[in-house]
Amino acid sequence: MATKKYWKGLEELNNSPEFVQKVNNEFAEQIPVEEFLNDSNLTVNNGTNRRDFLKFLGFSVAAASLAACEAPVNKAIPYVVKPEEITPGEANWYASTYFDGRDYASILVKTREGRPIKIAGNNLSKVSNGATNARIQASVLSLYDSSRLTGPLANGNPATWSSVDSEIGDKLAAITAKGGAIRVLSSTIISPSTKAVIDAFIAKYPTTKHITYDAISYAAITNANAQTFGQGIIPTYRFENAQVVVSIGADFLANWIEDFSVGYTKNRKVSKEKAEMSKHYHFESNLSLTGANADERIPVKVSEQAKVVVNLHNEIAKIVGVATLPSSELPYNAIITKIAKELVANKGKSLVISGSNDTNVQLIINEINTLIGSYGKTIDMESPSYINQSNDKAFADLVTDMAAGKVDALITYNTNPVYTAPAALKFADAYNKAGLRISFADRADETASMANYICPDHHYLESWNDFNPRKAHYSLSQPTIRPLFAEENSGTRQAQDTLLKWAGNSNDYYTFIQKIWAERVFPMQGKYMSFTEFWNNSLHDGAIEVGKGTEMPAGEKEEKPKVEVAKGAEKDKKEEEKTTSTVNLKQAAREINALEGGEFELALYEKTGIGNGNQANNPWLQELPDPISRITWDNYVTMSPIDMKKNGYYLMERQDREASVVNVTVDGTTVELPVIPQPGQAPGTIGIAVGYGRDKAGKLSTQTGGVIGKNVFPFSQLVNGTLSYAAFDVKVESAGKTTETAGTQVHHTLMGREIVKETNLENYKKNPKSGNPDEMLVTHSGPKKAVTIDLWDEHEKLGHRWGMTIDLNSCFGCGACVVSCTAENNVAVVGKDQVMKTREMHWLRIDRYYSSDMNKEIAKEEGVGAIDMYLDMENPSAANPKVVFQPMLCQHCNHAPCENVCPVLATNHSSDGLNIMTYNRCVGTRYCANNCPYKVRRFNWFNYNGNSDFTFNPTQDELGRMVLNPDVVVRSRGVMEKCSMCIQRIQAGKLEAKKAERKLIDGEIITACAEACPTNAIIFGDLNDPDSAVSKLRKQEEEGRNYYILEEVGTKPTLSYLTKVRNCEETIESGKKTEESHSEKAEA
Amino acid sequence: MDTILNKPQRRFLAAISSLFLFIISFNSAFAADAEKLFKQNCAVCHSLGKNKLAGPGLEGIGTRVPDDAWLAKWIKNNKEVLKSGDAYAKKIVGENNGAEMSVFTHLSDEEIAALVTYIKNPPQPKEATTAKSPAAGEEKAEEKGINPLAILIGVIAFLIVIIGVLRGVAHSLKNIQNERMGLPGEEAIGPWREFKMWVVNHKTTTGVIVLFILGTLLTEGWYALKAIGVYEEYHPTQPIAFSHKVHAGDNAINCQYCHSGVEKSKTAGIPSVNICMNCHKGISSGPNTGTTEIAKIYEAAGWDPDKAEYSKPQKPIQWVKVHNLQDFVYFSHQQHVKVGKQDCANCHGDIKEMTTAKQVSPLTMGWCIDCHRKTEVPGMKDNPYYESLHKKLAEKYKGQPITVDKMGGIECGKCHY
Repeated sequence: MATKKYWKGLEELNNSPEFVQKVNNEFAEQIPVEEFLNDSNLTVNNGTNRRDFLKFLGFSVAAASLAACEAPVNKAIPYVVKPEEITPGEANWYASTYFDGRDYASILVKTREGRPIKIAGNNLSKVSNGATNARIQASVLSLYDSSRLTGPLANGNPATWSSVDSEIGDKLAAITAKGGAIRVLSSTIISPSTKAVIDAFIAKYPTTKHITYDAISYAAITNANAQTFGQGIIPTYRFENAQVVVSIGADFLANWIEDFSVGYTKNRKVSKEKAEMSKHYHFESNLSLTGANADERIPVKVSEQAKVVVNLHNEIAKIVGVATLPSSELPYNAIITKIAKELVANKGKSLVISGSNDTNVQLIINEINTLIGSYGKTIDMESPSYINQSNDKAFADLVTDMAAGKVDALITYNTNPVYTAPAALKFADAYNKAGLRISFADRADETASMANYICPDHHYLESWNDFNPRKAHYSLSQPTIRPLFAEENSGTRQAQDTLLKWAGNSNDYYTFIQKIWAERVFPMQGKYMSFTEFWNNSLHDGAIEVGKGTEMPAGEKEEKPKVEVAKGAEKDKKEEEKTTSTVNLKQAAREINALEGGEFELALYEKTGIGNGNQANNPWLQELPDPISRITWDNYVTMSPIDMKKNGYYLMERQDREASVVNVTVDGTTVELPVIPQPGQAPGTIGIAVGYGRDKAGKLSTQTGGVIGKNVFPFSQLVNGTLSYAAFDVKVESAGKTTETAGTQVHHTLMGREIVKETNLENYKKNPKSGNPDEMLVTHSGPKKAVTIDLWDEHEKLGHRWGMTIDLNSCFGCGACVVSCTAENNVAVVGKDQVMKTREMHWLRIDRYYSSDMNKEIAKEEGVGAIDMYLDMENPSAANPKVVFQPMLCQHCNHAPCENVCPVLATNHSSDGLNIMTYNRCVGTRYCANNCPYKVRRFNWFNYNGNSDFTFNPTQDELGRMVLNPDVVVRSRGVMEKCSMCIQRIQAGKLEAKKAERKLIDGEIITACAEACPTNAIIFGDLNDPDSAVSKLRKQEEEGRNYYILEEVGTKPTLSYLTKVRNCEETIESGKKTEESHSEKAEA
Repeated sequence: MDTILNKPQRRFLAAISSLFLFIISFNSAFAADAEKLFKQNCAVCHSLGKNKLAGPGLEGIGTRVPDDAWLAKWIKNNKEVLKSGDAYAKKIVGENNGAEMSVFTHLSDEEIAALVTYIKNPPQPKEATTAKSPAAGEEKAEEKGINPLAILIGVIAFLIVIIGVLRGVAHSLKNIQNERMGLPGEEAIGPWREFKMWVVNHKTTTGVIVLFILGTLLTEGWYALKAIGVYEEYHPTQPIAFSHKVHAGDNAINCQYCHSGVEKSKTAGIPSVNICMNCHKGISSGPNTGTTEIAKIYEAAGWDPDKAEYSKPQKPIQWVKVHNLQDFVYFSHQQHVKVGKQDCANCHGDIKEMTTAKQVSPLTMGWCIDCHRKTEVPGMKDNPYYESLHKKLAEKYKGQPITVDKMGGIECGKCHY
């Protein structure tokens, strides 16, 4: 055998001295052993050699194995006296109510061993209709917030209730004696009993006045209704009766007055039998969640929104034949004319709303709705909604009074004006001049930390309360846990109890509520004879509706929002009675037309997660991606890509997370924020979310390395007595640097793949399979439907076969399901840094896709090459893209690609059709995640439950840990996880049926996502049961909208989706060029 | 608690006693009913022996009470009997410090008649007594018990010493002999060198021995590793010397009286102190430990036995958990006991004979799966939940028993989530 020399490189051939030296070194580069050891403070100064390192290593292995042999001694500590209703290991459910001054929902609270762990909507409520949103779902974690105060503070020092009570009592008495002003400032209160408590307090201290102020105010609607109808109320909007909906800047699906998604979606569900849906037009400057779901969305500048209202009024007036108002020239007149015609044609079945908090705009909106006959049909003035009673004018007057030193005591309840008030009001300075400052805040927030006394309130899950969200609708909340911080003379105390004490009332609040209900609510109903029966049933049901026609008993008056401005306006109206209301409208229109915008106009908005920021310390909400931008843990400036290109800002194309930083200045207040391109943002406008930048919300900001986002509430202004969340002249300058944002979706568009299928109503009526042609594959025996071709044998169909169908027409992308899933399945929070590394853990995500200007046909026409074509496809249409939301979770494939690559059989298929994941078996090869075409598997890169970099994770907090679902294991580092289809609920549901010796009832088992979905977009059930809702739906939609994602790859998913249908004229049919793509696939 | 009785013997005993039970119970289905009634309604307060629980012991009741009719009336509604001014009734209430007895108006006359017969002629305290002596013996044996490994080591050490001594003796003898014969004295070879020489001369034997030792060590090591985290026979000392034998065995209190969660929750539940106090309000002294242990219950419950009131601070009892499952396993008692109709003893062994509770099953996954492979699902046929599944499975596995694994009972996702 000839000896040949093989060499690795020229160095070896030449055998240079450097090479010889290198060869003798085992490691090409120095292993950072010293760094590691010094880092852990194992040695002092005198370095460590490799030998020592091995010793340490050896020792730790030995120590670990020795420790493993030691039997752990676990204690089992039973109750001394077990509460009768608790069976350890079994959940109890209680009906309660969530209201934080912003969101209202009648809810059911799941408790385990006396700890609330999950929230679900209460279907018995006719106000919230069983719907919850992300904020309400996450509120259960806010209960276990260790940043809450554990007792009263007097001037920043811990105090006892007895001393606080006596000190405050003395001071209040002294103020009353000298006739000084006492003011109670709160967010909207819809509790009749709380109002009675405040009345009792006022009776004791007669110089007290109660002022209502909401961070996000709807005072303009109240004011306008007071002027138009003499009723200072917010009506109930009946979207379920509206066939044509026109919204001008109102994000009514997620963030406007109340949750209207349930009613709205009723007219958006289509089937072969009912191929009709409402038509939704949307004018706005930011791309909002509601705008993204509109059939026709028209991006307009902020200043133009009001003008659109005037012009729309004029177009309708022209058709109806009434006087028009002075109008201004707008580029959207063609579409406005079209909308006007449709609105008039659908008289009594249409609705026009505006998100503006400008009384002038709302006056004209009222006029429009009168012209199109909305009142009594789509707007219910008989059932006023009480959940927004902000009186902005009174609030502004209060600030003026405080600044002038005219307020001797200010009690703040459930409000944080130092954080939320407009900069121009200079609330903080004025607040410091109020003589005695008392706060009921549960933490030392921005306002409370400046107060003399903080008397921390209970969390709502620890409290008794009652609610009157809408006329004739009442609900109750009851404690679902003993107060976490309850000590004799210390701990938290419910604000109402505190006020009652100060008012000298010896009742506790629970007795007080019962008294109020016995006096006021009980006589309004006729169903129950005795009060006890009525009370117990109301408490059990959570929400009740009393007879609508029932008169209030004599001497009692219905709790009506007290709107001073409205009263004033009423007087004005009386004076002007002889002149017609059109005079007012003309004046309003003139004022609107005078609005001028600068280079940039700003519209502030609320995110579905953080909202007005009262739960900013909640990591679940911080990690919930914004439905539109998909960015977590931040607020930012949204700007049209067109403007960004013009100004040379970083466009964050493709996988880029780097964003330019800009300085935004409004009236001398400057905020530095990253700017991100927002397709669909009206050019010349920017949007920024409120609710961020809370430096005193709690410890989350310190745990995550700084205040999260920036506060832009100071940008709001008081205009004509109402709070305005828009600014017309904004300066945006580059700060000359960049920063990184944590977005969860790097691909913005579908890249020509048919993951989301959609069509328009017209085509759907002609062909129910429109937009959803069968995927065909070419075989030896000719083309065949992809679903019929199977590489493997089908699974047996013995017992159950769990399946889910998601209606893309009903899903509007709110994200309540994501938070619900997080709570149910103990999903870890990973933080901004990890999200940036695409390591978020959400089992369920809502993908958002924009339409792009490029597709295969255009590429062919214009002769664009394949690479450029795909690159262009990644860029959404800048001007006004169509948006689709798609909940994406484990598809539980029948032939799952993840299952056959797992080397240790940690993921496999169950007999009831689930793709199961066994954590204790997983060794973390991540083959499965790599082989999953849906990208739904999540890997635990770190021990999020113990690693000191993730202290914000609820599992690392002694209190936060109490929110964990004990039926689901907390995963450790190095294992894969994914949607289990809530297998713990499936098992529990089956067991209930087995125990009761009966068949399983459809709907008895429901996954956490389906439970939280306000619009029933997610339908879950047994596919082997022909009578289950999901089987029926699939059968009905078999030759219609039902499709499986990537069905052509043969994974045979258990989950299916229903094609999205849009009521627009533009053809948006997916899969049109099917013939062509078939041949392409066949070639491939 | 280690025992000198080996397993076959124990099984034999168990078999004998269950046979005995079987015969007794088959003697009269009627008696079984009465026994059930007694356990459900009476056993909480009355024992069949002399000992007093909350109420008096019932031994010899037939001779004490006026007649059977009186007894039946008394059981059904003692309040009425008292109201009627019955002298004997007043007397026994006085004897029992005025303790009140519940009324049992929900029981039918036939049931009460059966109960009367049953308490007058209670089943003989059978195997309890027979089992008592070996059990006592067990305890004694354990105290004196010597580890077999220690014995082995002792024997080997002893042999080595003997060999050493004998070698010395042999060497000295040889030297003496040499001296006598005028030969030069043999150089003393160190034992180590001699051992090496022996090894060199006996290569095959040495090889076999070395292989044997290595093999033993490896297998032992393998089993030792497998036993990590398996705590069979674990019986920690509890803060209160509670005896299952006294409660569940001698006094025949139903398991579910204390472990009430077993049919309605995933955990059987450790009884709260107020359950203990249901009986121990009246019973302040036990057969084994007198008052010392029961006093601990009083302390936990905050009960002042002198004043007979709850006036002291409560202190929860910190029991040591005997059966520990890893967090990643979901085990449900109700699934096994209520639906699967499994007897407690299948996993927990003969608790009625244990003083301190002991883990008798390994609680390993192999053990779980083994049982799931062997066990048919009782009640599956009659439970409408399983109706269609049972039909399909019966078709698929013609004639074969339908065990838990055949209906998906060994899939990962049934226990791990």
